[in-house]
Amino acid sequence: MHNRLPIVAIGIAALGITAMLAGTVLAQAQTIKATNAWARRAPATGGHDAMKMDKTMSGDKGTMGGDKSAMGSMSGDKGAMGSMSGDKGAMGEHGNGAVYVTLSNSGSQPDALVSASTDVAQTAELHQTTRDGGVMKMRPVKAIPVPAGGKTELKPGGYHIMLMGLKQDLKPGEKVAVTLKFEHGGETRIEAPVK
Amino acid sequence: MQRFRTTAAIAIGFVCLLAAGPAATADFRGGVLKPPKPATDLTLTTQDGKPFRLSTQQGKVVALWFGYTFCPDVCPTTLAELTRARQQLGKDADRLRIVFVTVDPERDTPARLRDYVKAFGGNFIAATGTPEQLAQARKAYGVVAEKHVVSGTAAAYLIDHSAFVYVVDRAGRLRLMFPFGMSVEDMVHDFKLLLD
Repeated sequence: MHNRLPIVAIGIAALGITAMLAGTVLAQAQTIKATNAWARRAPATGGHDAMKMDKTMSGDKGTMGGDKSAMGSMSGDKGAMGSMSGDKGAMGEHGNGAVYVTLSNSGSQPDALVSASTDVAQTAELHQTTRDGGVMKMRPVKAIPVPAGGKTELKPGGYHIMLMGLKQDLKPGEKVAVTLKFEHGGETRIEAPVK
Repeated sequence: MQRFRTTAAIAIGFVCLLAAGPAATADFRGGVLKPPKPATDLTLTTQDGKPFRLSTQQGKVVALWFGYTFCPDVCPTTLAELTRARQQLGKDADRLRIVFVTVDPERDTPARLRDYVKAFGGNFIAATGTPEQLAQARKAYGVVAEKHVVSGTAAAYLIDHSAFVYVVDRAGRLRLMFPFGMSVEDMVHDFKLLLD
């Protein structure tokens, strides 16, 4: 029993060294810096059945009273409400939001933001708004490129992280945590203050 | 028909940009409609279920914006900026009315519009209407709104739409069009000119 201790100690030490080395490697790969993150204020709910799932709205029955027609039309939809996340139609019942951030790439290789995730919404997608004459078009994109030695600004009317199906109101003064995943630069967690 | 509307909207936008040139107007910073034309009346329903008529707003400056609450980017940005501009008018804030007209009545129920207005501080009207009323409103202002089912998103559909703010003066005439991205400072400047 006693002679096992040194082995365990060596094992732990080895693990520690491995973790440190891995950390160093990760730090070297992390050439992306995320700054100036912020989120647009937004309501979580669409004001009808979906609200029942949301504790923060429980005191808000007053806003539902006048809208019996909308309630009625939703009555056949309760099944879908239970499994909200996979239901495209139901996605429209919740509010959406947007997160903006500036991504700087200090590395010599181009990189790209490939996904974003957050706990405050059912899903987070990468979107781009483009202008065609006076018409604005918003479309999902697979990646948001960040050039080598350059930066890409996610800002209103351009690239943004769309939060779909908010689980809570985004209120000024609060912060939204979002994890950004890059093609080469690993993951970065940002805290976006709501404005 | 859709193409015609797009062309018409772009043409209107272009005329405004021309009119906004430094030689044409030293005063306004948004696009100026010359000559101003009577703003076509709108008959809609507010988020509280009350009737809304544009023609009863005379005496106030009205900023009209067409959008949809599902949109996370351009629409809330414009509404946030209009709301901020309104606040900066100080004691004149009540003389400016911001009206958001939905291009997505399917998703934008009055209840949803109420939540939306509340989230933005409550200082504007969000209006919906029958499909006919809304189509008439879009036509009157040259607004394009095209529904698209898009792959690669959880959204059932997205709507491409015109992104101008239409400004009606106190006499009920359509005077200005603000392009997307116009600064709050410039909006305040133009609102003040119309309120003086």
